Amino acid sequence: MVTKDEIERYIQNIPPAPTIVKQTLDYVRLGDLTKAAKCAEEDPALKLYLKTLVNRPVYGFRNEVSDVSQIFGILGVSTAQQILYNYLMSVLVPKQWELFHLTHQEFYDLQAALSAKWTKILTHLSLLNRESESAITLLPASIIVCDALFGAHKSEVEQLKSVKALDYNTILYRLCRSTLFDICTQIALKWEIPPLISRIVHAASGNDQDLKPTEKVLAQWMHLLLFFELSQGTYVSAGLNEFIEFKIEFVQDIYETFMQVVEYDESNG
Amino acid sequence: MRATVKGRVAVFHPQGFLDGNNAPSFLTIEDIKATEGLNIDMLLVSLKKVIFFNKNGLDVFIRLLINIRNQKHISVGLCDYDTPKFKTIQTFYGSDLNFSLFRTEKIAELFVATNKSDPKTVLLYNEDPSQRSAMAIELFDYGHNPIIVQSKKEFDEKKRNPDLYDAIIEDTYLGLFGQKVATRVTGNAIIYTISNFLDAEIGNSFNIAYHNNSLNVGFRLFIFDAYKVVSMNIHALNFFTKLASSAAEYNATICFVGMTFEKTPITFKNDLEDAGIIFFDQMEDILKNKELLEELGGSSATASKQTRALTKALVNELPGFIDATVSTLAMMTNAKATKESMNIQPLEVKESQNQYASSIGFYGDMDGMIILIFPKTIAKKACELLIGEETDNEEAILDSLAEFVNIIGGRAKTLLGEKKNRVDITLPRTYSNVNALLEMAQNKKGVQVDLSFEGSHFTFFLTR
Repeated sequence: MVTKDEIERYIQNIPPAPTIVKQTLDYVRLGDLTKAAKCAEEDPALKLYLKTLVNRPVYGFRNEVSDVSQIFGILGVSTAQQILYNYLMSVLVPKQWELFHLTHQEFYDLQAALSAKWTKILTHLSLLNRESESAITLLPASIIVCDALFGAHKSEVEQLKSVKALDYNTILYRLCRSTLFDICTQIALKWEIPPLISRIVHAASGNDQDLKPTEKVLAQWMHLLLFFELSQGTYVSAGLNEFIEFKIEFVQDIYETFMQVVEYDESNG
Repeated sequence: MRATVKGRVAVFHPQGFLDGNNAPSFLTIEDIKATEGLNIDMLLVSLKKVIFFNKNGLDVFIRLLINIRNQKHISVGLCDYDTPKFKTIQTFYGSDLNFSLFRTEKIAELFVATNKSDPKTVLLYNEDPSQRSAMAIELFDYGHNPIIVQSKKEFDEKKRNPDLYDAIIEDTYLGLFGQKVATRVTGNAIIYTISNFLDAEIGNSFNIAYHNNSLNVGFRLFIFDAYKVVSMNIHALNFFTKLASSAAEYNATICFVGMTFEKTPITFKNDLEDAGIIFFDQMEDILKNKELLEELGGSSATASKQTRALTKALVNELPGFIDATVSTLAMMTNAKATKESMNIQPLEVKESQNQYASSIGFYGDMDGMIILIFPKTIAKKACELLIGEETDNEEAILDSLAEFVNIIGGRAKTLLGEKKNRVDITLPRTYSNVNALLEMAQNKKGVQVDLSFEGSHFTFFLTR
C-alpha cells in the first residue's frame, strides 16, 4: 500500500512552476495585465490553455476569444490569477488517470465548474478577493495526488473498501499519518502559492480544528461545493464521490443558503 | 459503487447529493452484478453522508434493492438517517413503503443472523402497534431481549438512561420482513425459529448458505424452535429430511423443539426421526442439560469426530493462501511478514495467553479452513487501518479482525477462481480465547506455517 517513502518521492518529483507562468503570475499580482499577456504569449501551451478555457460554455462568450491580452482583459486580475493557478495544476495532471475514470476534458470541466461557482459563493459571502478566489484552484490537486498515490494500489484499495467504507484520505492518514491535503500544502509551498490559499484548502477537508472565523466559513463552503460537484453523474462514474469523506455536520448550517447560491433545483431528475 | 460487506449485511455508502440525474451513475452494470453475487442476508443504502436526496434519486437504489430481494429473499432497506429524513422517506413512499428503514446500521444488524452468541438488550418503541410487535418478535427470534414500550412518554423517560440498553430502536420500520427463518446462536448451538404452516416455501425462507457456512466453521448442533409451527406438509418434510442427510456428513445433529403433531401426520415424525432428527418438548431440555448438550455437539465444537485429510489439490494452493495472508498484512500495516517454518501437523500453539484467533472457511469445488493466531499486539496493529485509532476495546478489535480475515478469504476465493475453482467463503469467526479454537481444531491435521512480523510470531494454519 502507499508508504511514507512514496509520498516523499512524489513530492520530490513535482516540477517547479515554469518560469513564464511565474513571471506572468507576478505581473498579474501587480495588476499589470498587459505585461502579463505579453509574457503568457511566449508559452504556446499556456496560450492554448487560456484560449480553450475561456471559450468553454461555462464562461458564456458567444464569439471565440483568442487574443491573450483580450482574454486577460475579460477575466480581470483575480480571475486571471485563478486561471493561471489552474494552468499550474494542469502540469500535475497525469497523462493517463489510473485510479479515477476521468478524461482530461472532464478534469478541466471540474476545475472550471468549481472556479465559476466559487466566485459566485465568494460574491455572496462578500469575501471576493484575489487570494480567496484563487484558493479553489489548489483543491483539485488533492484529486491528482490521490490518483498518483493510489493508482498503483487499485486492487488493494478495492479489497479494503469491500469490508469497510473508507475514503482515500482516511486510508492515507491511517497508513502514513499524512493526508492528501497535507501534500497539497507541500505543492503550494513548492510553487510559492500564498499560505492563506493552502490553509483554506487544507481546512476544506473538514478535519481541521481551531480555524479563524473567515477561514472556517471558506472551508465549509469549499467542502460543500466540492461534494456538490463530485455528486455530478460524470464524477460519480469516475469514482470521485468516494475520494474523501463528506462531513455533513461540518456544512449543515450553510446547506440551505448554499442550495440557493448554486441555484440547485431540488426536483432534479 | 460497490457495497461494503460486514458479516451478512451489505451497505452502499453514497455521499453528497442524490437525485434522479446522478443516482444511476452510482450503480454500473458491474456494480449491480457484483451485488447480485453477494452472499448476504440484508442489503442497505446508508444515508449517513447524503445531505440531499429526492424521490427520483432514492428510487434508483430502491429498484435495485427490490430486484435483489425478489431474487434472493433477503431483507432490504435504507439506514443511517435522522428523524427529519425518516419522515421525508415516509412521505415519499406513504403506503407503498415495502422496504425497511433502520435508523442506524447497528440497529439493522440486530435483525440478521450472525455466528456470534451476543444477545442485546434493546429498548423498542414504534407508534404503530403492529410494527412494534413485528420488531419484538424478530428481535426475540434473533436471540435478543426486546423491552417494548407502549407509549412515547414512557419511551422518552426510559431513553434518558441509555446505558441500560445495548440499542434503542426508534424511527425504524420493518417492510416485508420475516422472509428468512430467524437464526440465533447460543453457545455452540444454532437455533432456527420456524412458525405457521411449513410447506415448499421453507426452501426459500431457510438460509441454506448460512447453514452450510455454520457447518463449515464447526457448528455441530442445530435446533429448530418449532413451538409456533401449526403443521408441515410433504414438501417441508422432504426439505428437513435432506437437511438431516447433509448434516450427517458433518456429524452434526438436528433437533426439533416444541413441535406438536396435532395437525401434522405422526408418520412425519417417524420419517424425520429415521432421518436422524431428534425431538424435544422444551428448549431447556437441551440447553440446560450439559451432558446432553455435549453429546449432541453443542457444548463446544469438538463433536467433529471425523477428521478430514488434507488433499493434494489443497496443499498445492498453499503458497497462494500464505501470499494472500502476508500481502493482506502488508497492505494493512505497510510492514512485511516473513515465513519461518512450515510443517504438516495438528495445530500447535505454544502460548495461548494474550492471543486472538480467527478462522474463515471456504467450500465448493475445494474446501478447507484458514486459521490465524496472533499475539494481541499484532492483531491490534493489523486492525489499526480498519479501526482508525489505537484501542483496547476487545469487541472492536475482534470485529476488525473478522474484516481482516474476510479480506484474506476474499483473496483466497479470487485466487482459486483464477484456477477455475469456484468456492464460497464462510463468515469469519473470531476467538478472544484461543483455547476455544484449539478445542475445535484438535485432531485436525493441517499445514502450520509460523510467520514472523515485526519481531513477533504469528501462526497460519490450513486445514479441512
